[in-house]
Amino acid sequence: MSARASRTGRSLFLLAPLLLFLAGFFVWPLFSMMSQAVSDTAVLRLLPQSAEVLAGWDRKSPPTPEMQTALIADLKAVEDTQALGDMVRRLNSARSGFRTLMSKTTSALSDEADPPADLVSIDKRWERPEFWLAIADALSPLTDRNLLAAVDLGRNADGEIEHLPADQSVNRVILVRTFWISALVTFACIAIGYPYAIIAASLSGWKRDVMLAAVLLPLWTSLLVRTAAWFILLQEQGLINDVLQMLGLTSGPVQLIFNRTGVVIAMTHVLLPFMVLPIYSVLITIPKNLMPAAASLGAHPLRAFLRVLLPLSLRGVAAGSLLVFISAIGYYITPALIGGPGDQMISSIIAFYAIGSANWGMAGALGVVLLAATLVLYSVYARLSADEPGRR
Amino acid sequence: MALRFSKLAFSVLAILFLVAPLIAILPLAFTSSVILTYPIPSWSMRWFTELFTADAWRRAIVNSLIIGTGTTLLATVLGTAASLGLRNRLVFFRGTFRTLFLLPMVVPAVVLGVGMQVLLARFGLTNSYAGVIIAHTVVAVPFVVVSVTGALAGIDERVELAAESLGAPPATVFRRVTLPLALPGVLSGAVLAFATSLDEVVLTLFVAGPNQRTLARQMFSSIRENISPAIAAAAFLFIAATIAIGLIVVLSRSVLAKRRAPVH
Amino acid sequence: MRRRRSFLLPGGEKVAEGRMRGPALCPTARAREPLLAEFIRFDRITKFYGPLCVVENLDLGIGKGEFVSLLGPSGSGKTTLLMMLAGFEQPTSGTILVDGQAVNDVPTHKRDMGVVFQSYALFPHMTVGENIAFPLEMRGLGKAEIADRVTRALDMVQLSAMRERRPAQLSGGQQQRVALARALVFEPRVVLMDEPLGALDKQLREQMQLDIRDLHRRLGLTIVFVTHDQSEALTMSDRVAVFNKGKIEQIGTPRQVYDEPATRFVAEFIGETNLIEGVVARISGGEAAVRLASGAEIVSAVSGGVAEGATVYLSVRPERIELAEARNAAHNCLETEVTDSVYQGDHLRVELAAGSHPLIAKLGRRSREFEPGTKVFAAFSAGDCRVIAPPDGQRQAAAS
Repeated sequence: MSARASRTGRSLFLLAPLLLFLAGFFVWPLFSMMSQAVSDTAVLRLLPQSAEVLAGWDRKSPPTPEMQTALIADLKAVEDTQALGDMVRRLNSARSGFRTLMSKTTSALSDEADPPADLVSIDKRWERPEFWLAIADALSPLTDRNLLAAVDLGRNADGEIEHLPADQSVNRVILVRTFWISALVTFACIAIGYPYAIIAASLSGWKRDVMLAAVLLPLWTSLLVRTAAWFILLQEQGLINDVLQMLGLTSGPVQLIFNRTGVVIAMTHVLLPFMVLPIYSVLITIPKNLMPAAASLGAHPLRAFLRVLLPLSLRGVAAGSLLVFISAIGYYITPALIGGPGDQMISSIIAFYAIGSANWGMAGALGVVLLAATLVLYSVYARLSADEPGRR
Repeated sequence: MALRFSKLAFSVLAILFLVAPLIAILPLAFTSSVILTYPIPSWSMRWFTELFTADAWRRAIVNSLIIGTGTTLLATVLGTAASLGLRNRLVFFRGTFRTLFLLPMVVPAVVLGVGMQVLLARFGLTNSYAGVIIAHTVVAVPFVVVSVTGALAGIDERVELAAESLGAPPATVFRRVTLPLALPGVLSGAVLAFATSLDEVVLTLFVAGPNQRTLARQMFSSIRENISPAIAAAAFLFIAATIAIGLIVVLSRSVLAKRRAPVH
Repeated sequence: MRRRRSFLLPGGEKVAEGRMRGPALCPTARAREPLLAEFIRFDRITKFYGPLCVVENLDLGIGKGEFVSLLGPSGSGKTTLLMMLAGFEQPTSGTILVDGQAVNDVPTHKRDMGVVFQSYALFPHMTVGENIAFPLEMRGLGKAEIADRVTRALDMVQLSAMRERRPAQLSGGQQQRVALARALVFEPRVVLMDEPLGALDKQLREQMQLDIRDLHRRLGLTIVFVTHDQSEALTMSDRVAVFNKGKIEQIGTPRQVYDEPATRFVAEFIGETNLIEGVVARISGGEAAVRLASGAEIVSAVSGGVAEGATVYLSVRPERIELAEARNAAHNCLETEVTDSVYQGDHLRVELAAGSHPLIAKLGRRSREFEPGTKVFAAFSAGDCRVIAPPDGQRQAAAS
């Protein structure tokens, strides 16, 4: 018993460093990203005094003088006009009319010569609780706004979830595009990878080795090198265009890069090994004599394939497809380098929000969407490969 | 006959599709031109010279070596220890731990990158070597765990029991029996960790500052901004290194297989 | 041990276990060529794998309703021949005729031959019933008829209760019976079996041998059976073709190949034998006198093809040797000394030295014990030994 306990203790001691490391630098970052997605302190930071006063407000009665004073003080202290603009836009979407109200208010407040006594004297609307309610809501540190916006939803004036107007609906287009490109790549990988794996598994000796090496070499090669290679091949004066023109298939150079064609070709090349290898590993566990057996029992080769090989290898095809699809939806480098503006996938948009515009809330929210899709698909994949009987 | 021919044609085309891009880029490393197209006007080593002398490239190479080495050490130590811990069937949540250890391979790099940047900023680790090494280790550790658990699973436990029965205390059994048998797995795990770090772009993009620009990161922006044959030269080095690494992995596997072969 | 009821007879009626043969299957009458109408013919078949010749210019005829075993060590070409008959392999040259028609260009799925594979090749994703229904579906039979024939086939192999099981849920013996039912259910012209019993344990294997033999008789099947197990071949077959290095060394009834081995290879491959080298001194009236190196002379049955003065081997089966204390004038007698004796349950195995030449004798269990060092005479009649002509090369060497 004590020997067992000490063995367990030793094992836990060995596991602890990696557990702590991953908890700190893998799980925690993901949680911080998620909290970025639902936290929103932009308004809170702009209006710290109002936040304090509004906390004691009953959300129904007309504004007290303290509330007005606090808001005036906050608005006067604002230096970051961009943040102010963001806040106004947000308040306006919660309560229309806020834009005109705010511009009127700020210009009145900046009038040094004749400072207004309170807000109501600037505009009667400040008497109405609805406008204060909008501010109070915007002060809350938690928000579903980003998550909703990630799938092109928003809340209307009454707080109901509705579709954003078409001019703001960019994310759904990108999500659909991400899934569409990933599906195209997955199909291309099945179309090439499935027959490839079947042929490789049916061979032996050096022929099989060559086919496997042809899959492993790109897998081991740097992703950037492969992307660079495709960049060079696909460009207007690239080898592929040279060959096409030499063969007389096209008269002039074909646009292959910075468009969908290039992205799908390059991503198929990059992800093909992830299709071939799972299928191959399933195929080699299938006894070699089943297809001859089917033939001897009178099955035409096509029927034998449909009835015997296909059902037996379907698990490998499903596993490979999931693996390719999961990898494809998270792809960044290849679309960023080979694709045009119309081929950017969700990862590119996340990177744009995070690096380009420092909008961590939107980056986080789209990240949550991508992470959720990935983990759901991965759990399906894990179940699929765990069921594998007689796994080698 | 028609079937056999179409099979052959398909295989050749597919192999061409897989391998030709990697081969096509190689000669361009030796072009004397400034543009990356065929035909090559004349041969020259100028782009290799550029790679090793131009400040941006030289620093990128040095950074990649520093970060790769750090990542390899950290990932190998953490991953090997954890794999040894995972061996014990008495540990609770063994399956959960294993899944957790492999998950960094699955989570999209951009997602992890966003989270990592937020977190490292909190610790003041952005734009530091430590931050980049930590980020790379997170994605490299699964490869070490897979490789080492594979090697450990191949060890016949009776060999260790035999050693114990011959009078070796547990520490000695580990040092003289377990570790030597698992060593090829640890080595190939380390090689894979280094390769992962070398090739990592997305996380680097998020957490590294201009001073930690790695070779892969430099290649990324060079393709994006001003593509030059220096890319081909770098690719040449990468492919050469890949083949070398591949040989090391294959050799260590065959050593492993030999060691595992039953004694007659 | 309890013996499993034979699965092939619905009433569970016990099959006669002796190696009984009907008059039509009289061994000598059917020695070289089948009495029954020839159904399968291999005509000068040669098969190369790259530079390797696995079957060399081979001729073989198989009669309708005949059970022929292809027996030989691994790599002797027997399985390749079966694969060519099934259509999995193409002969490099030569013709395979079935029922008078060349089948070289007929694809496997149109050959109508039931194949039982070494590892059964059951479809793991189909139930037992679906496996057996497969060939019937391929032939486009109606649902009702398929169900009916599957039921009957399952009854035949006594696996009706297993119809909905998957192959992985069956024991090895049950899987073997499913494979058999699947190969028979569509009433193929020929049944090909590639070491179908190799994976079974000894007792089950012996039962299956009798079951398959009985099935052959009852259904009048033409069976080509590949095996490397000589006792299996002897138990089951009408005729045995002994393969070596891509050629048939001898073909004949089990009795012929055992009692009258044509070559040294056959003598040694089938059963255990004593081979004694000597020179033919005289030949007269179907008997040859062979002089051994020790000077002793042995009289043996001979079947021609041997000239006086040729160096030959004498083959004497160990169980034909008797040990006597005194010389017996009626028999060949060799003066020997016992070197070892081992009691093996059903017989006593005695190792002897006849001068420098070792001999083995298997004696009935009622025999007395022999101490090492005992001087005895090894006696056997002229009919119990065979003269085996040396291969062509050796014969010339002996003549020069």
